[in-house]
Amino acid sequence: MLIQILNGLVYAGLLYIVSVGLVLIFGLRRVVNFAHGGFYMVGAYAGYTAAMVFGFWGGLIVAVLVLGLIGILLDYVVFRPLQNADHMVTVLVTFGILLVFEDVVQMIWGADTLSVLAPYPFDGTVQLGDILFPVYRLLVIAVAIAVALGLTLWLRFSRAGLYVRASSVDALTTGMQGVDTEKLSLSVVGLGTALAGLSGVIASPLLALSPSMGSSILIESFIVVVTGGLGSFAGAFIAALLIGQVHNLGIVYVPNVASMLPLLLMVVVLILKPTGFARSYS
Amino acid sequence: MSLLELQNVHAAYGSARVLHGVSLKVEKGERVALIGRNGVGKTTVVNTCIGAARLTSGKVSFMTRVQKPIRAFRAARSGISIVPQGRRIVPGLTVRENLLLGSAPDRKGPWNLEAVFAMYPILRERADGLGTAMSGGQQQMLAIGRALMANPDLLILDEPSEGLAPVVVDELGASLVRLAEQGTAILLIEQNFGLIRSVGDRYYVMAKGSVVEDGRLSALTAEELKRHVSV
Ligand SMILES: Nc1ncnc2c1ncn2[C@@H]1O[C@H](COP(=O)(O)OP(=O)(O)OP(=O)(O)O)[C@@H](O)[C@H]1O
Ligand SMILES: [Mg+2]
Repeated sequence: MLIQILNGLVYAGLLYIVSVGLVLIFGLRRVVNFAHGGFYMVGAYAGYTAAMVFGFWGGLIVAVLVLGLIGILLDYVVFRPLQNADHMVTVLVTFGILLVFEDVVQMIWGADTLSVLAPYPFDGTVQLGDILFPVYRLLVIAVAIAVALGLTLWLRFSRAGLYVRASSVDALTTGMQGVDTEKLSLSVVGLGTALAGLSGVIASPLLALSPSMGSSILIESFIVVVTGGLGSFAGAFIAALLIGQVHNLGIVYVPNVASMLPLLLMVVVLILKPTGFARSYS
Repeated sequence: MSLLELQNVHAAYGSARVLHGVSLKVEKGERVALIGRNGVGKTTVVNTCIGAARLTSGKVSFMTRVQKPIRAFRAARSGISIVPQGRRIVPGLTVRENLLLGSAPDRKGPWNLEAVFAMYPILRERADGLGTAMSGGQQQMLAIGRALMANPDLLILDEPSEGLAPVVVDELGASLVRLAEQGTAILLIEQNFGLIRSVGDRYYVMAKGSVVEDGRLSALTAEELKRHVSV
């Protein structure tokens, strides 16, 4: 049972890092970003290839930087010009980007799955009670906690974090106070996209790389974001924990309906509390 | 030096044209009232200055610099702070955080958290509570304090008396007069005669999207003022 809960936590960690990027981007741009799953997937592949030259950790840094740049570009050429357009237009464009990225990745790396080994020195196992557990999985949990902690401190105590929180609820007023909200969005979309890339890279030793890996985590990330209360960071954290467990226990105990469980959970939460777990930026 | 100048400004929301040639000017240290009935476009004048309404022709200048294109953050960074209609306290932020937001332009001057707390002690008491949890009058103080955090040369207030009890409006007027005496220019958009009289010196009257009259408030009788403002 402990193993199951830990595995659930691992998936929750990956899900959280992807979801919190979505929350950041949604806050600043009010965009439901389908391309985000594509960035997770591209991050995994970019890390895979860069690792051949720089090793796993160097590859991770390269992938995160590349994805950050892609995010900045996305904001500059898509979100900014389309900010006054119908939301549906932007959503469709991001969906198109997801499809294009899946095709491009398939062209470059092929449709077959690729695998990545856990990097040294996290490639061993550790004794937990009477079971052996892969150290790398614990590392993933630790990275997710570090991201959550870092983001929370940044949002709560830094100037930029204050501007992000303010702009997420009222961009006009924030701009009126002298904050360049366009520039802010650029960096925040970059950050959110880099986080998707980070999640993709650290997921790669756990999951097989395939061009469709982005779509599957994207759906569950949307469920996390909505269940957590659209735009809430704390809500996303709690929802990711919950959905991670549901996802994992479902696969183990009721594999036939596992993929439906997170959706069911979302429906139940939304019926009980239509705003999701939280609404404020805490 | 003119701090704010609008020359023959036309502006629209989408395709709805609202301003049809507004010209006005606020010089250093002046106390100007912008008056007019509901819906004539007073708030749109402010919105045009921050790009929330679209400038279709004419010129907007801050500190004699023509703004082209108009960007939301330029006014505050140029020394023009806005206390918007409805106060627009940012939800989810504490009183202190709302004030710190106001210091985003990072301009030097006498105003900082301490100075604002000294002027409105209630804000110090409520510093760690949510801004939106305060009463209307307190939120108005917060909106003014937030605007002052940028150390502005010109403070634009859009109907600050809206929804406030008469005694609170009197206090508000007194604090605006004090600010003006310390050298901050004021552009006051108002419909409250008392406040217009106590704070204003010059005035502009708007009707149907343009400025139709201007002059000195001292030359205006109570009757005339009333006619310009009430519905
Ligand atoms: N966002 C908007 N989109 C479209 N039309 C708008 C918008 N805001 C205001 N208007 C219209 O523009 C006109 C001028 O509105 P504005 O808010 O500038 O008036 P006002 O003089 O400030 O009125 P009040 O005294 O009620 O605040 C009104 O007819 C209003 O309906
Ligand atoms: Mg108005």
